[in-house]
Amino acid sequence: MAVAEAASNDMKARNNGETERGTGRVGDKVFFGLTFFFAIFVLVILGGIIFSLVQGSAPAFGKFGLGFFTTSTWNPVTQKFGALAPMYGTIVTSIIALLVGIPVSLGIVIVLTELAPEWLRRPISTAVELLAAIPSIIYGMWGLFVFVPFYNNHIQPVLYDLLGSDSGPGVLFGEKSNGGGILPAGLILALMILPFISAVMRDVFETVPPFLRESAFGLGATTWEVVWKIVLPYTRTSVVGAVMLGLGRALGETMAVTFVIGNSNRISASLFASGTTISASIANQLNEADSDIYSSSLIALGLTLFVITFVVLVIAKLMLRQLASKVR
Amino acid sequence: MFNQESPRDPRGNLTPRSPAPLPHAGAAANEATEVKIDIRNLNFYYGQTLALKSVNMKIHDARVTALIGPSGCGKSTLLRTLNRIYQLYPNMRAEGEVILDGENILSSKIDLNRLRSRVGMVFQKPTPFPMSIYDNIAFGIRLYERLPTVDMDERVERALTKSALWGEVKDKLRASGLSLSGGQQQRLCIARAIALNPEVLLLDEPASALDPISTQKIEELIKELREEYTVVIVTHNLQQAARVSDYTALMYLGELVEFADTETIFTRPTKKQTEDYVTGRFG
Amino acid sequence: MLSIYRRRRIVNQINMTASVLVTALGIFLLASILITLVHYGISGMNLALFTQMTPAPGESGGLLNAIVGSTILTVFGIAIGAPVGVLAGTFLAEYGKNSRIADATRFINDILLSAPSILIGLFIYEVAVVPTRHFSAWAGALALAVIAIPVVVRTSEDMLQLVPNDLREAATALGAPRWKVIVLVSYRAARAGILTGILLAVARISGETAPLIFTVLSNQFWSININRQMANLPIVIYNYANSPYVDWRQLAWAGALLITAIILAINIIVRMTLGKQTKRT
Repeated sequence: MAVAEAASNDMKARNNGETERGTGRVGDKVFFGLTFFFAIFVLVILGGIIFSLVQGSAPAFGKFGLGFFTTSTWNPVTQKFGALAPMYGTIVTSIIALLVGIPVSLGIVIVLTELAPEWLRRPISTAVELLAAIPSIIYGMWGLFVFVPFYNNHIQPVLYDLLGSDSGPGVLFGEKSNGGGILPAGLILALMILPFISAVMRDVFETVPPFLRESAFGLGATTWEVVWKIVLPYTRTSVVGAVMLGLGRALGETMAVTFVIGNSNRISASLFASGTTISASIANQLNEADSDIYSSSLIALGLTLFVITFVVLVIAKLMLRQLASKVR
Repeated sequence: MFNQESPRDPRGNLTPRSPAPLPHAGAAANEATEVKIDIRNLNFYYGQTLALKSVNMKIHDARVTALIGPSGCGKSTLLRTLNRIYQLYPNMRAEGEVILDGENILSSKIDLNRLRSRVGMVFQKPTPFPMSIYDNIAFGIRLYERLPTVDMDERVERALTKSALWGEVKDKLRASGLSLSGGQQQRLCIARAIALNPEVLLLDEPASALDPISTQKIEELIKELREEYTVVIVTHNLQQAARVSDYTALMYLGELVEFADTETIFTRPTKKQTEDYVTGRFG
Repeated sequence: MLSIYRRRRIVNQINMTASVLVTALGIFLLASILITLVHYGISGMNLALFTQMTPAPGESGGLLNAIVGSTILTVFGIAIGAPVGVLAGTFLAEYGKNSRIADATRFINDILLSAPSILIGLFIYEVAVVPTRHFSAWAGALALAVIAIPVVVRTSEDMLQLVPNDLREAATALGAPRWKVIVLVSYRAARAGILTGILLAVARISGETAPLIFTVLSNQFWSININRQMANLPIVIYNYANSPYVDWRQLAWAGALLITAIILAINIIVRMTLGKQTKRT
């Protein structure tokens, strides 16, 4: 009955746990207080993170000011630190991860929703989700001992020969490096964020009303056209949200990146060259930091990463709000 | 506070009351019992919408009263005011008086949990808790009493016997309540409510989710329960109302259209609307 | 007309083929990772792994102290993180439909869920390591707890939401106070799901390295003192994998295989028990 439905919808609309008069009153208040406390605790954790990062980075910002973001110097000897190189590395590796990861995720989702026979879908999606479960350090080891050698022998030379040059856009593929670099790090990141993007994308695709797809197919559209022209536009906002989610992950990845990026504080035109990211710099150097300004600069890097990631994740959440209300 | 008139044994536990004089369906009007629940000018609001309008009704002790009417007429709403289960939701409120044994249960001074131990409810969809059959029954008892195992066993057995389920489950009391069939689950829910020795039993379309055979068993059960409890049953099944109840109330659009003993309602109704409904001219 | 049609078909063919190829590539890479682990790690999987301590450079040994240390860290991390997560999730599910606090908590929780774990490590570093001037196992456990909490909050809330309202009404109709309805009925009904969520959190924190780097670091020797550095698998693997010593690298692979096997086993068990109800974290 409509009445019962309205009742069910309101079921949890009690916003302060005020209990009805009855025995067990005390128990109700205590229990409510307990759960409320720990819910607030989550907010406190975030507040704590922000506060400690701000506090820890204050000395560095005090000394370098906003110039911190425009200098690429990173010199523990002269105690001059600048975030430019790590930021460059973080952003570029993440962009590479997205450029490679998005089409691959789309391909996987197309296979899962349109192409694969029913019995194959569960195994494939399980496999993709297992990719998400593998710890970052394992990706790092695989990256260093398996992927980078392969890349050095088969990917880097090919790209270098095909696209590399001394000037113009070819400069991106200009200078080779055999000790790892920005490109291999970005590629591994792509593999790592795949499952996140494709998981959300898949949920999103499944919210498309069947009749929409069916009417497109009924008009003779090819599968690709249905996906590209009907499904994607329909789910556009949520897909962007999924991508942002993947981006958020890529920005913060640490262990996999430190194994394969070469860990040198430099900005080069070539994507092959080694570099560093914010998280890699922090991971490698915090324990070695021998002065307050040194560690404060690293924490300042952390604050920077936090701000960037926070913004990206908030945008992702807002764009995925639609999806959440449909799926629930 | 609540005027506890329920009889207690020397240890202070609630005990079943002795059965009221046994009527047969249709003869109730001649042997009218006391008024157990007196509903006076009851108005009920969902937010701003008035769902029950000035309902006045007297529910008789140890009799079965059926609430009938088309969908949305307010019969379930009315039932749910009798144990104030609507209080779980913030936008609902009741005005007026519902007097149970001399006490207005709509008053804010009422201890709701004790109220619900006196006025039990069984819902449309069987809702066994995810525990053993034994624990399902014991759950309610444990809310109020701390019993040694022997006594608890006896209470559980008595409740299951009264709801005609004992024979079917006595060898598997530890099995999950969810392992029973739909009809059995519903009888389990009835046993669960009965285990608290309530004075009033509210049944909200108890058989509508069940197959005909289970429905029949439930109806027989209701007729037996009449001896000990005041039963109020909401049903959309007219024949069922005729079969099991002593009194019938027809509701329409939140108002009480007519209330009388069942035989009168079905054979010589006073209002045209009643006649139209029971003869199926609208529904 | 025909040529447009042909072109559309070709485009479709290309894209469908590409989709299948990249999917195959993804699965192939997964296989590559797993095979690599087994290939390099299996020869290190012997009894010594579990009975001997981490050795000095150039010597052989095992990972006993690291395994024990990781277990302790994980257990403590979950011991703190799971109750906090379940209770916060309970608030969101049972009391929090129209509450602004609940909306804010949900939002922030989802942010924390995807936040870089190295920042969590930094936070605990500032809070627990800097004031005490040394690394400690309890700091590491705290960092792991902070990582586990959002996972458990999310899954607990989702699982409690799935409990049908009928059940709550039935318990209330018997006169149970609100907290008993939640604890005795809702929790009971959602038990499997909540436990699974906790298991997922365990899998997640078992493999985390970054947050441990500046909280507990590691320890060459045996130590179960929670006030001091404690050996743990991820950091040991990190240090040994990059080292020039063959024995150390072998241990790193064996440790990597061990961790991955456990984590994948947990994930597969979870998928099998929950089936369709699994929510992605």
